[in-house]
Parts: sequence; C-alpha cells; structure tokens
Amino acid sequence: MKYIIKRIIQLIPLLFAITFLSFAMMRLAGSDVVEQKMLNTGQVISENQLAMAKEQLGLDDPFLIQYFRWLNNLLHGDMGVSYVSGQNVFETFISKLPATLLLTFTSIILTIIISIPLGIIAAVHHNKFVDYIIRFLSFIGNSLPNFFVSLVLMYILAIKLRWLPIISKDVSAASVVMPTLTLAIAMSAKYTRQVRTTVLDELSKDYIIGAKARGVKFSVTLMGSVLRSSLVTIITLLALSIGSLLGGTAIVESIFMWDGVGKLAVDAINMRDYPMIQAYVMWMAIIYVLVNLITDISYRFLDPRIRLGEKES
Amino acid sequence: MKNKIRFSVISTLVIVIIFMAIFANTICPYDPYQQDLSIAYQAPSATHLMGTDTYGRDMLSRVIIGGQVSVLSTLCLVLIISVFGTIIGILCGYIGGKVDTIIMRVSDLCLAFPGLVFALAIAAILGGGIVNAIIALAIISWPKYSRVARGLTLSIKDSTYIAAAKLAGSNSLQLIFRHIIPNIIGPILVTATLDIGTMMMEIAGLSFLGLGAQPPVAEWGNMMSNGRSMLQTYPWVVLSPGIAIFVTVAVFNLFGDMVRDITDKK
Amino acid sequence: MKKLLATMLALTISLSGFIGCGAQNKDSAINDGKKTFILGDTTFNAENEEATINPHDTYCGWACIRYGVGETLFKFNDNMELEPWVADSYENVDDLTWKITLKDGVTFSNGKPCDAEAVKACIEDLIAVHERAAGDLAIDSIEADDLTLTIKTTTPKPTLINYLCDPYGCIIDVSETTDDGIVVGTGPFVATELVTDDHLNLVKNDNYWNGDVKIDEVTVLTISDGDTLAMSLQNGDIDAAYGMAYASYPLFENEDYGFTSAATSRAFYLQMNYNSEIINDPAVREAIALGIDKESFVNTLLSGYGYVGNGAFPDTFPFGKGIEGKSYDPEKAKEILENAGWTDTDGDGIREKDGKKLTINWVSYPSRQELPLLAESAQATLKDIGIDVQLNITADHGTIVAEKEGWDVYAAAFVTAGIGDPMYFFSTHCLSDSTKNRGSYSNEELEKLATEMNSTFDVSKRNELAIQMQQQILDDDAFVFCSFLRMSMIYKANVTGLTAHACDYYELTADLDIN
Repeated sequence: MKYIIKRIIQLIPLLFAITFLSFAMMRLAGSDVVEQKMLNTGQVISENQLAMAKEQLGLDDPFLIQYFRWLNNLLHGDMGVSYVSGQNVFETFISKLPATLLLTFTSIILTIIISIPLGIIAAVHHNKFVDYIIRFLSFIGNSLPNFFVSLVLMYILAIKLRWLPIISKDVSAASVVMPTLTLAIAMSAKYTRQVRTTVLDELSKDYIIGAKARGVKFSVTLMGSVLRSSLVTIITLLALSIGSLLGGTAIVESIFMWDGVGKLAVDAINMRDYPMIQAYVMWMAIIYVLVNLITDISYRFLDPRIRLGEKES
Repeated sequence: MKNKIRFSVISTLVIVIIFMAIFANTICPYDPYQQDLSIAYQAPSATHLMGTDTYGRDMLSRVIIGGQVSVLSTLCLVLIISVFGTIIGILCGYIGGKVDTIIMRVSDLCLAFPGLVFALAIAAILGGGIVNAIIALAIISWPKYSRVARGLTLSIKDSTYIAAAKLAGSNSLQLIFRHIIPNIIGPILVTATLDIGTMMMEIAGLSFLGLGAQPPVAEWGNMMSNGRSMLQTYPWVVLSPGIAIFVTVAVFNLFGDMVRDITDKK
Repeated sequence: MKKLLATMLALTISLSGFIGCGAQNKDSAINDGKKTFILGDTTFNAENEEATINPHDTYCGWACIRYGVGETLFKFNDNMELEPWVADSYENVDDLTWKITLKDGVTFSNGKPCDAEAVKACIEDLIAVHERAAGDLAIDSIEADDLTLTIKTTTPKPTLINYLCDPYGCIIDVSETTDDGIVVGTGPFVATELVTDDHLNLVKNDNYWNGDVKIDEVTVLTISDGDTLAMSLQNGDIDAAYGMAYASYPLFENEDYGFTSAATSRAFYLQMNYNSEIINDPAVREAIALGIDKESFVNTLLSGYGYVGNGAFPDTFPFGKGIEGKSYDPEKAKEILENAGWTDTDGDGIREKDGKKLTINWVSYPSRQELPLLAESAQATLKDIGIDVQLNITADHGTIVAEKEGWDVYAAAFVTAGIGDPMYFFSTHCLSDSTKNRGSYSNEELEKLATEMNSTFDVSKRNELAIQMQQQILDDDAFVFCSFLRMSMIYKANVTGLTAHACDYYELTADLDIN
C-alpha cells in the first residue's frame, strides 16, 4: 500500500511535465490561435480585430500565466474548441476514446491468445520442426509494416473471401476483426519470441529438472510455474508496448476508418488542428503513464520475488 | 560451420543493401523521376522489371532510389540516437548526482509519450519531410540507449578493476575511453542493429501517413501510400515497395539476431 | 500439456467464431422490409468546410442539398438553365425588385408549411450569418405575403435568382435548433444523426411534397480514403460511391456496377501569386501556362474522365466558347524564358536570372484526388523547360495561401459556373475585392468589364462580356485552367435513380431506389 502511494506521489511532477510540454509544444507550433480561427471561418482580419481578440484571450500575458490558466481550464474539462469543426475538443476526444481503447484491448487479448501457446510450444519443442515453423512465422510477422499487413488483409479477407466488411457504420464484432488482427500480428510475432525465450530459460532451471526427475507430470509443471513466469514477461512487455500500440492504432485506424482517437489525431495533424493534437498527445501520455503504474503495481502481486526484493532494500 | 554460412550470407545481404543504397543513382536502369505518360501502368516486363507507375516512371528505379532514402535515413537515425543516447547514458552513470537525476527525468518524460504519438505531434509541429520525421523519431528513441548505457556504466563503475585503474592514476576521460566504452559497446551494438528494422518501419509508417518523405521523393512508405488504390488494378505499383520494405527489414532483423548471438556467446 | 493446448485452441476458435458471426448479414439493402442505402463519399468532411449540413454555415449547404435534406427555390436543369423547385415562378419587376411565387403545398419535413414567411425568415438568417451570401445577394428588404415573396436589392442584381440556387440557398426551417448540425428542410430525406467526418444518417421524409420517397433509410459515410472506398463498394458495404480514385475505375467497369457521369464546371486551375517576385514576371507565368500538358493529364492520369480546360468554363457552355487559351508547347515556353533572361548557367537543368533560381512553390491539397496528380505531372513537365517546382500538398493549404508571401502557384478546384452564371467565378476570384483573389491579381480593364456585367440583365450580352473577361485573365496568365471534372458516381447494379448532375449539387433524390 505504501508503495502504491509512493508511486502516485512520484507521478505528480511527471503529469505536470507532460501538460507543460503539451502546452509549450503547441504554442511553439507557430500559428497564432486567433489568426487560425479567423482564417478558418473565412473572415478578413484587420489588425485591430486581431489585437482585440488577442487581449480577450489573454495571449499577451506571460507564458507561465497562460499555462496555468490553460491548466485550470483543463481541470474543468475545457480544452478549447477545434479550429476545424468548432466542436469542444475535450468532448470530441472523450467520445472517440472508447473505440480506441476497445481496439487496444482486443488486440492485446488476441496477442496473448496467440503468443503464449505458440511460445510455449516452440520452447517445448526446442529446435524441432515445430519450433522452426513458429520462429519463421514470428520472424515474418516482425518484418512486415502494419500498413502493409492492413492492405493485404483487406484484400484477402474482405475482397477475395468476402468474410468481413471493410468499414462499418457502427462498432460491431465483425468490424473489429481486421484492425485487431493487423495490430495483433506484429505484436504476437514479437511476444511469441519473448515467451519462447522465457520458457526456455525456465525449463533449464534446476527445479524443473528436479521436478522432472521426481516424476511430476510435465503438464503440471508447465501449468504451474512456467505459465506464471511467462505471464509476468508478457505483462511487462505489454506495458512497454502499450505506447507503440496506442500510436500504432493511428495508422490502422485511418486505414480501416475506425472512428477512434488515432484517426482523429491523423486528421487533426493534416488540418493543423492544434487544440485537437494537443488533447491527443497529452491524454495519450497520461493514459500511458497510468497504464505503466498499474502494471508496476500488478506484477508486485504476480511475482513474489519482486515484493521480497522491495522489502530487503 | 552452419553458423559460418549464415554469418556470411546475412552479412553479404546487408552489404549489398547498403551498397545499393549508396550507389542507387548509378544502379538505376532509368531516371526514377522521368515521367512518360505514354507508358503508364505497364506490367512488369523485360524492359521494366517491376513495371511502371501512374506517371510511367520505372518502378525498379524508384524502388532502388527509394531504398536510398529509406535505408540511409534509417541508418542515419539509428547512428544518431545510439551515439547520442550512449554518450548521455555514460555521462549520467559516471557523473551521477543531480545531473543524472535531471537527465533521467527528461528521458522519463520522453518515454512518457507513447512512441508514434509523440512522433506524430512533432511531425505536426515541424511539418512533413523526411528530415523532420527523423528528428521526431530521434527525440523519442534516444532514452532507450541512455538507459542501457547508464545501467552498464553503473555496474562497471563499481567494479574492482575501475577502482584499480583509478588508483593507478587514470583520469575520467581515460577511464571512459579505455574501460567503460569497450565494455558497453557490445550491448549497444546489439540494441542498435535490432533497432534498424523497427526504425525503418516507423519512418515508412510516418511517410505512409504523409508526414515523412514528400512527393516526388521516392520513399518506400509514401510509394506504398500513393499506390494503395492500385493494389487490385496495378498491383506491382504497391507490391514492389512493399516487398522491398519486407526484405530489407527482414535482412536487418536477421543481422540483429546474428549480432546478438555472437556477442552473447562471449 | 495437451489439455492446455486444447483449451487455448478452443478459446481461439470460440473467439473468432464470436467475431465472425457479425459478418453474416451481408448485402443488407433490404432489411425487414426496409430499404436502406449507403453512400460512401470522400468529400463530406470538415476539411471541405462541410462539417455539418447547415446551409448557413460555410459550404455545409453542399451536404444539405446533395443528400436530399434541403432544396432551393429554383434548380438547374442539365443545360444549367433555371427551373422551378420550391418556388413556382419569378418575375423581375424592376432592376431592384424581384417577385417570387412559391409552390402551394410544400412543407418542411416536420410538417410545417413552407410559406413566404418561413422562406423570408430563412433568407434573413442566411444573410445575417453566412459570409458569402450577404455580398452575393445584396438584399435590402424582403416582404412576405402568403406565397409571394418580394425581394428588394441594394444594387441591380441580374443573377439574384441564380445565387439563390447556390447550396447555401437551401430553404430550411430556422425555427428549429441547429446545435447538432442538423437542419430541417423540404427535401426527400430527414437527417437524424450527424457525426462530423464520420457519418450522416437520414430517413425517408414521409411528408415529402414532391412524390413518394422509395428508400427508407440512408447513411452517408465519410470515407476519406479512396482505396477504402473502392474496397467497400466491391465488398458490398456501400451501395454507391462518390469520389472514387481514377485508378480504381477498371474494377467497376463490368455488369455488376453502373456509372453515372456528367460534365461539370468544376475546374482544376492554377492561380498565380502576383506578390511573388518570380511570378510577377509575365514570362514565367506564360511559360507555366505553356508548360502544363493538359491533354496527357486528362487522358492518362484521369483515364479520360475529364475535359481539357481552356477558358474558365467548359466550351459546352454558351459563355465558354471562342476563347484562345494556351496548350502544351514546351519549346515555345523555353524560348520565352530564354528571351526573358532566364537561362541555365550552371548546367543543373534549372534556369537562373540574376543569380536567382527559377523555383516555384506549388501549393495544393489532397482531398481532390486530381490535384496531386496534376502537381506531380506539372512538376515533371515544368522541369523539362527549366522550372523547378517544389510541391506542398497539404490539407492546410488555406492557411498558406492566405498569406501574401511563401507561395507562387496555387492549384485548386472550383465550380466556376456553379450558379449557372459566369460572373460567379470572376466576382469570387479575379477582382481586387474578391475573397478568393489570393494572388492579388488586378486588371483595370477587367474591373471595368465586371462593373458593366453587374448592371447587364441581357443574357447574351452577359455571355459576351464573360468571354471578353476570360480572354483578359488568360492573356495575363493570371489563371491557367487545366481541366474540368467529369463527375462520376459508381453504384451497384441494383441501384436506380442515382444521376450525376452537371452542377454537382443534386445527388440523392426521391427517385433513388434499390431493387
């Protein structure tokens, strides 16, 4: 418990840094909020109008004051309005977030379903034919860019076989499949290798050899210790890859027209819709940090050795 | 014996790819930017081995010149982040104290932003272009090297032979160059070679989204992006760069695995 | 061990089974007796200033009229001549006064009658909030009496009725709220849900005044990616597509699909920036005009789905004939540049003058698929004559060309005769007070002709003036018209009643049906 509180307190300066950086980055982006807004509505701007609008928005105040004002608004859920659509940024972002989280979640589940069994099989049949096949497949999966995979999947599953829709107007089980597969293929390729390595390590440990010698059924040892140790590996890795996954959804979402924050971000970047980009960057960073915190805490419970190590030091 | 064959085959492939990237201009059978609309969309044939694209440009030449952009910019990126990250890491590990804390917090911050997300944001600020894509990826990728280098430096710093060298009168610079760098170069090299494939895909990914190389510059990611609509009608336009990325990334991944296996054995 | 594997396998299979079951009901055009129609559109998005379907907001009227929600007082027939629609007839009482008689029995989709009072409220709101309408219409006062509308203008407006046919002129019930971007019009369909950049849901208007609507539910999907659009149509996810990539056309040239095409006045044109030192040189402008291979652009890159441009309007239009434009002539272009002192002294293939390289910044945007093709093709042909072209193709083009400096040539698409009258293009693009005169072009002769045009009511005289004005801007090389769009929609063979229209405004009508 103490540990959790300590971690949360440590988080505060990081959150400040993230918000500050997000704010500073978008101010650096150069375009002036006011000018941008007026250009987008097609108005002709006079110098006078510009100065007045600036004063109104407090853009002449010192940078830090502007930051704290922005932060205050942020805490009230106000991140400004989109330059393009004129809609509330925070609301838009929140409304699109579930779709992305769903996609992230399904692809993590699929990755686990694929990579744990394959990794274990490969390790158990170390250097046998099955092992080679699995390693070869994971190697291929690792070398394919996800946009290439998307295009090929689309072509095969939707056009040639007609099993799945390309796009769908609402989130249905069928529409999740292709984006999930695309994201899971690359990740599974990576994790299968990792699981294989971990299990190989584990299998060569004395206690397993001892258990074998004592005649404990192999499947029992496998289920017990090996699976647990590979789960810890997977969780650590997943936490690390949540970042690339959240970013990776941007490409996949825009290819599959998945109405999540990734597509929102790509569209916003193309349109130089800075408030929207800002919201995306900041929230993604915060989500990422939180996920890391949760994983850190969770494997303290999964792996007793880490807990013990903590007490000793 | 088997490993020796593997070693020579993979190394040769890596050398061939780098060679093709460097001498792309001389290898190209045609001018990759020369348009000739009268021969647009030709299927692969003896004259155009990979066919021609929308503008009648020779695909093979474009894939080769695209390789120059993709491969060289990736190598350049990996070189920058590994050297920069390692230097920072060594300094942090060696000096310690406040400097260490501050720099590590900065790297935490860089790591706090999920990879591509941050790259997208930077690309958004700087605008498209291959150089900007490299800068964006560099900013998010260096901490990985710093961490590795710092960890290793810390463990070496406390070892007895460093203490011995210190007693013998070596100054910091000598210590770093004679004892620390030689000992950490292996793991850094492994990290770097394994990183090449990933970085290549990320650059291509940014280009695919229109945030990397801009037309008419041929780069595999944007060639695929531009050719997407032709996957069914003129598949060679999109498959040629696609296969080129796949093969190159695969070769560099194999190379990375190999380098790791070799250093592990020591 | 086997047990574990079996469990994992079973899990995988059941999951994929669960996921797969959603895919069964394909081709769901007719679902429990309801006819549904899904249109995929690449242009319905905030980037094209169509964030909503509220006609009083920027260009959102296009979505309003295209998807059958709103209707204007009058409409254009295939020859771009005016026909009655919500209104029955008009009368030009004097230079400043127009009398419009509405049809009896037209109602909004909420059942309220669309009478003169409602139309008056709508137009008054329009000119109060819309940035272009007030200037276009120059309305002084409106009087409403039952079905008769009397409009007085501040200056003579020979084209008032034409302007009222612009999509912003959709007649909507302004007493309804528009907060969600949805408006209530008189059209065959009623909007129920709108998510910007994603989709618009429509249902049949049971109160439609002009016949029976055959389709029960329509979804318009914003699919910004041309490739996804093509695959969705092939796969059957959508019933029709607007904005298909030319490279995908061969996939649909068979009996499973139908094409509907119309010659439109959507021009792909270049606008020169007179604020740029290089472009200010007439020789450079002329060389650019001569250095664009319009024929190959249309025939090869657009697969023949287009018309080579000459003047500002297609030569099928009465005011588009007899104009002398420039066609591709690289040799002449080189000669002109050479004579003007632009020579390649350092042998890099790019010409210089006084140490300055002949490099032009070409700004354009990707949402019209023809524009990147034009840009890359022009880049190659202009390089042949010694002009280096730097491309900047971005969705953010508006901000760039709003600046005076930093760009040389702007390639864009515009419906030049959108309201069936030539003055529309000139007043928006070519005069010193035009909002889209981004390059600060000005020509006194042109201004004089424009003033004359503004007070001319006689159509043939207007056409003649339009021809003179086009000749003027072409002689100045202030604009280069590369091609005109042959607008095509592609639909599944079981779709009927979907017709492309010359003005590109009308898409979904009561006639639309699925068999």
